[in-house]
Amino acid sequence: MNSQEFKSNLVTKRPRYANSRIPLLEALANKGSRSSEYSQFGPIYELYIYAMMIGIKKKNRLPLPPRNITSDFLEIGKWKRDSSLVDFLLMVIFTQTDDINFDWNELEDMEEEQLNKVISEVVTIIEEYANGGLEYLENLYEKGELENSHYMFIDLYNN
Amino acid sequence: MASIINSISFKNFFNYYGDYDDTRYEFEEGVNIVVADNGAGKSKFFNAFLWLFYDQVLDSDDKQKKSVKDFAVKIISDKAKKETSIGEQVQTGIKIEYSTGLFKYQIVKSFTATRISEKITDFDSWQITIDDIEIDKTDHVLPKYKPVYDADEKQKIISKLILPTLRQYSFFQGEEVDKMIDFNKKSSIEDAVRTLTNISKYEEIADIVKEIAEKAEKDLNKQTKSTSEHNDRLEQAIGLKKVLQDKFSQESEKLGEFNNLYESAEQEKNDLERNFANAEKRKELDDKISNKRKILNQVKEDYDSFLDGINNRFFDGNFSWISLGFEGSVNEFKNKIKDYRQKRYEKQALLNAAENPNDYFTLLPVNSPDAVTLDQMIEGEHCYVCDRPAEEGSEAHNYLLKLKNRPNEDSSRREFVKNDLEDFFGNLQLNSAPFLNKFESIPTSVLRTREKELELKKRLDKLSSEMKALVSQRKDILIAGTDSERKDTASDIINQYKGAIRRMEQASSRIERLQDSIKGLKSKILTTEKEITNLRPKDIPKGFTINYEISKDLVEASLNAQERVFDKMVSLLENHANEHFQNLIKYNDIKGGVLRFDKSPSGGISLDYIDELGNEVSGASEGFQRMKKFAVVMSIISANTSQYNYPLLADAPLSAFGKAFNKGFFEAIPNVFPQSLILVKDLYDKDSEDKLTDLGQQLIKNDYIKTFYINEVDEELPQIERTTKIERRK
Repeated sequence: MNSQEFKSNLVTKRPRYANSRIPLLEALANKGSRSSEYSQFGPIYELYIYAMMIGIKKKNRLPLPPRNITSDFLEIGKWKRDSSLVDFLLMVIFTQTDDINFDWNELEDMEEEQLNKVISEVVTIIEEYANGGLEYLENLYEKGELENSHYMFIDLYNN
Repeated sequence: MASIINSISFKNFFNYYGDYDDTRYEFEEGVNIVVADNGAGKSKFFNAFLWLFYDQVLDSDDKQKKSVKDFAVKIISDKAKKETSIGEQVQTGIKIEYSTGLFKYQIVKSFTATRISEKITDFDSWQITIDDIEIDKTDHVLPKYKPVYDADEKQKIISKLILPTLRQYSFFQGEEVDKMIDFNKKSSIEDAVRTLTNISKYEEIADIVKEIAEKAEKDLNKQTKSTSEHNDRLEQAIGLKKVLQDKFSQESEKLGEFNNLYESAEQEKNDLERNFANAEKRKELDDKISNKRKILNQVKEDYDSFLDGINNRFFDGNFSWISLGFEGSVNEFKNKIKDYRQKRYEKQALLNAAENPNDYFTLLPVNSPDAVTLDQMIEGEHCYVCDRPAEEGSEAHNYLLKLKNRPNEDSSRREFVKNDLEDFFGNLQLNSAPFLNKFESIPTSVLRTREKELELKKRLDKLSSEMKALVSQRKDILIAGTDSERKDTASDIINQYKGAIRRMEQASSRIERLQDSIKGLKSKILTTEKEITNLRPKDIPKGFTINYEISKDLVEASLNAQERVFDKMVSLLENHANEHFQNLIKYNDIKGGVLRFDKSPSGGISLDYIDELGNEVSGASEGFQRMKKFAVVMSIISANTSQYNYPLLADAPLSAFGKAFNKGFFEAIPNVFPQSLILVKDLYDKDSEDKLTDLGQQLIKNDYIKTFYINEVDEELPQIERTTKIERRK
């Protein structure tokens, strides 16, 4: 597997989220509709990325429930097209030394099967941090502690 | 004797909260002033008289007159409404006392409201019963009031305060003065003259003598016929005269019709011109509004999309807020990739060394020495690294060639790992560059975003308030405009205007022809008459001839008299108007012109405003225009030989026209009106100790000001608590 194949295998994955997060996703990310009382992200992936980064910042990694009660969405490669955002995100993911329990050089000598497992693991890291971030947002949301401001997300991010 | 209003009092009438005794104004003959700021009861005071005369009040929200019954809930003082529990009643009313030479009257108009549900401002929450008008009457000898029961008499008593035909000159609110005398309407002054003079009597006399003359002529003709020698010839002449006269009256009638047509077309043209000016103003404002709306919508859109876009800044490489707080990751990645590359390099080197130890250990790193230097060394056959010659063909020279071809060999390098991920990691680092160098600028960028938002918001607010001002200006034009109901477009108006002008031209040419024809007929009639006289026998009884001639003279005389009276009235009006006008503008620094009344060709009176040299003055300020009209109104009243017997009731007659006009006005009105009640805002000064402007303080000292009131409303209180307090200063 060369670099291109490796990346391609990674970015064609569709990360998942727990079905219980759907109301939150609808409240905070809803492209086009302005019905929410809160500031919103456009597409789901924006909220998902935001949640993942919050999860990483808060070191809040939370496993997802079994696959059949989760949903997937856009494949990673299609998040924010024509932008290197995904590269940046992967860069951040690959520096999470505590989570990534393999050496980069080791990857180069792995069998394909093994390497695919690593790719799955990376996706899991993404999913679990996103889940952690969503949990954090959900708590605020449920308690009514989300600030009704256009700067709500950046203010939270800055804390 | 003139009607003099002695007092007016209110009961729970708008902000005039409380019983009649609590809110009472007493007035005297002469000038009476009520000073009130906006919202302090001026228009409500005026409304009391609207109720008295017309059972209406003016809704200040839409400037429409509404019937008292329909509008009752709004008329009741809010405080009184609040204090009335469900099931209880509250009474609202006005009480006016006035006297004439013989009697004094007290008129009460009121209604009773029963509260039936919770929301006090809802029309459905109240049941309204209009109370009977109560009128009491007393003579001045025995001041004991006796009720009047007869409905007709009651109406008469109300009418007598100011006669309905004269109310337009005596009872008005500020802007109404402008409509009172319509300088664009020829008959306007003429109508006023008719209302106030006995000119119609002269017209009656003229008609009577004309009839007598016709009869005298008939009698004479009868006589001549019976005695004439050449009967046939005379009869023919008389017949011809009759034909001519019939034709004459037909043509005259036609002329009248065309004159009317002309006048109505001209009137329409003038109205349209005024409307046109309004239409132009409206158009101008509409254009402004539409432009402003465009900008406003654009800015609003910008603002909305700006707000929507705030979260985009997380993911936009130009802002890359998402990277905030991830400086550590970047450094970590740098270190990791360095380690990774180092290990890779070592691995590769080891592999190479194992397969080809000599090459590996003697091989210089790629690009060292660089290609240019290598070329020079090969060409110069000298190694600059060890500073030794390397002639072509020698081992040293071959080695230099080998070094030069090294990259080509490298391109076909062997895979030394199973999965080469160097590009993957390298590209991650390379591609994420836009997100890697923004850390420091993100806080500033967030701040800027907020600033930008505030800026946009400010711009939006400013535009919104400008827009609001324009829209309300547009509304004012609608209210002031003559055709507020009709949604006329500019092109409609232009077409109507063209039509009116066309009709004027058509009528005008017909009038000319008719006038010629009438002139011809007249002279034919005259010569026929002469011929008839010649044909008449000389032996008819003299009485008939004399009777005929005298009556003919009488007709002429009465027509002349009518004309003279009319002319005299016009010149009298002119003198009076100018006298009043000069008084009214006395304190104004700008010299006003002179008013000149002229008989127009169609028989009406036109008014011109000219300067000393006889040139028409145009573009005089609104204050002068208003004074011009006042002067004419006052002249119409004062030129009448008998005294004017009714009070003047005016609400804000001069609002915002300045001190000089106000001063002149108050000084001039007693010349015409035996009593005046003037409601003004202009004398009110919130910041002055006694709440009066300089002019107010000056006026109060003048003898001709008989009473002086100030209304005060506590603006701090909510509307529902507000009441008007009346303070008498003089």
